[in-house]
Amino acid sequence: MKKVALLGAAAIAYALAAWMVAPGFYDGFGPPAPYNWTCPPAQAGANSSPSAGHLTIKVIDGVSDANSAFTDDGQLVIGFLPGAFVVDGKTSINVDITPNGSCPKPAGLEFVTNIYDVTATAAIDPQKPANLVLRYSNLLPDPSTIYTASDANGPWSAMARSQPGQPFTIETRTTRVGYFAAGYPASSPPPGAVRVGGSQLLPIIAAVLIVVVVLAGLPLAVMRRRRR
Amino acid sequence: MIASVQARTAARAGLLTLFILAAEWSRVLLAQRPGLALVALLVGGAALCASALGFPAERLGLGTSRFGLRVLGGLALGAVLLLPAAVRASTVPLLPAGFAVGAVAVSIGEEIAFRGALFAALEDLGGAPLAIVGSTLLWTLAHVMSHPPEFLGAVAAAGLLLALWRWACKDLVAPILGHVIADLAL
Repeated sequence: MKKVALLGAAAIAYALAAWMVAPGFYDGFGPPAPYNWTCPPAQAGANSSPSAGHLTIKVIDGVSDANSAFTDDGQLVIGFLPGAFVVDGKTSINVDITPNGSCPKPAGLEFVTNIYDVTATAAIDPQKPANLVLRYSNLLPDPSTIYTASDANGPWSAMARSQPGQPFTIETRTTRVGYFAAGYPASSPPPGAVRVGGSQLLPIIAAVLIVVVVLAGLPLAVMRRRRR
Repeated sequence: MIASVQARTAARAGLLTLFILAAEWSRVLLAQRPGLALVALLVGGAALCASALGFPAERLGLGTSRFGLRVLGGLALGAVLLLPAAVRASTVPLLPAGFAVGAVAVSIGEEIAFRGALFAALEDLGGAPLAIVGSTLLWTLAHVMSHPPEFLGAVAAAGLLLALWRWACKDLVAPILGHVIADLAL
C-alpha cells in the first residue's frame, strides 16, 4: 500500500512539474527548438521577447558591401550580395529588423513564426535578391511557405521557397524589404514529412492508453482478489 | 573482506555512472553535428544498453513473469507521462518518422542504463533509497546538456516516477514501454 501511495505521489509530482513546461516529458531528441515569441502559443511556456536587429552596410566605390543582417536571437537572417542595393550616391545603408507585436491573423493563413518588419534605406537590386532565413519553433506545425506584405495587416503573398537549410529554418529569396512571416495555408493540413505520434493525435493516444489500462486492469484486479 | 567487496561495488557504480554520463553527453554532442542526429540516437542507445553487460536479466528488472501486468504498467506509465501534454495542448513537437527507430533505441537504452544497470549497482551499494535517489539525480544530470534548465524539473520527476516503479514492482519492462510510448508520441 505504501508503495502504491509513493507511486501515486510521484505521478502527481510529475504531472505538476510537467504542467509547468511544455510539452512536459521530452527526451532523446533535444528540447523544443527555442523560440522567442511576440504572441506565444498556449503551449510555449516561459517566453522571452524576440530581438530586433540592425546592420549598417558600407558602400565602397558605389557598390554596397556583402553582409547579413540578423536579429540578436537569430530568428531572422537576411543576407545581401555585393551590390545588392541600388545605392543612389549613399555611403552606407541601414537595415533594421523589428518583430511586429500586433500578431494579425490574416484570413486563410496560419503563421507559425513572428512577423518581422525588415526595412532598408535603399531598395534591393532586383537582379541581386537577398537570401532570407526564418527560424521556427517545433511547438507548432512546420511552415510550408514564407509570406510577405508591405503592411502587417496584409495582403500577404506567398514567396518561392529555397532549398531547405538548417533544421527548423525556412528560406526564400527576396528583392524587396517589408513584412515577413512563415506559415501555411489555413485550409490545408499542416505540411511536413510523414510523422509518427504527436500533433492532434496526442490526446487520443493518451485517452486510448487510459481506457486500455482501465479495461484490462479491472479484470486483472478482480482475478487477483479472487485468488486471495 | 567486506570492505573489499564494498569498494568493488562502489567502484562498479562509479564506473557505470561515468560511462553512462559520457554516453549520454557524447550522444547529445554528436547529434548537434549536421546529419548525425539519427546516428547519434542509434549509437547512443546501443552504448547505453552496453552498460548492462554482466548484469543478469532479473537483476535489471527484466523478465517474463506476470508479463501482462508489466505491459499494462507500461501503458499506464506512458499515459501518465503523456497526460500533461495531452491535456494542455493538442499540438506538440512532432517526431519525424525517420527518427522513430532512434527514439526507441534511446528510450530502451536509457531505461536499461539508468533504471536497469545503474539502479542495480546503486542498490547493491546503498540499498533502494540510494538506487532511487541516485538514479534520478544522475538521469537529471545526464539531461543537462540536452534540456534547458526549466525542463529539468519535469525530467527529474519523470525519472523519480520510473525509478519508484522499478523499485516497487521490481520491473523494468513497464518503464521501458512507458518511455518508448512517451518518446514516440512526443
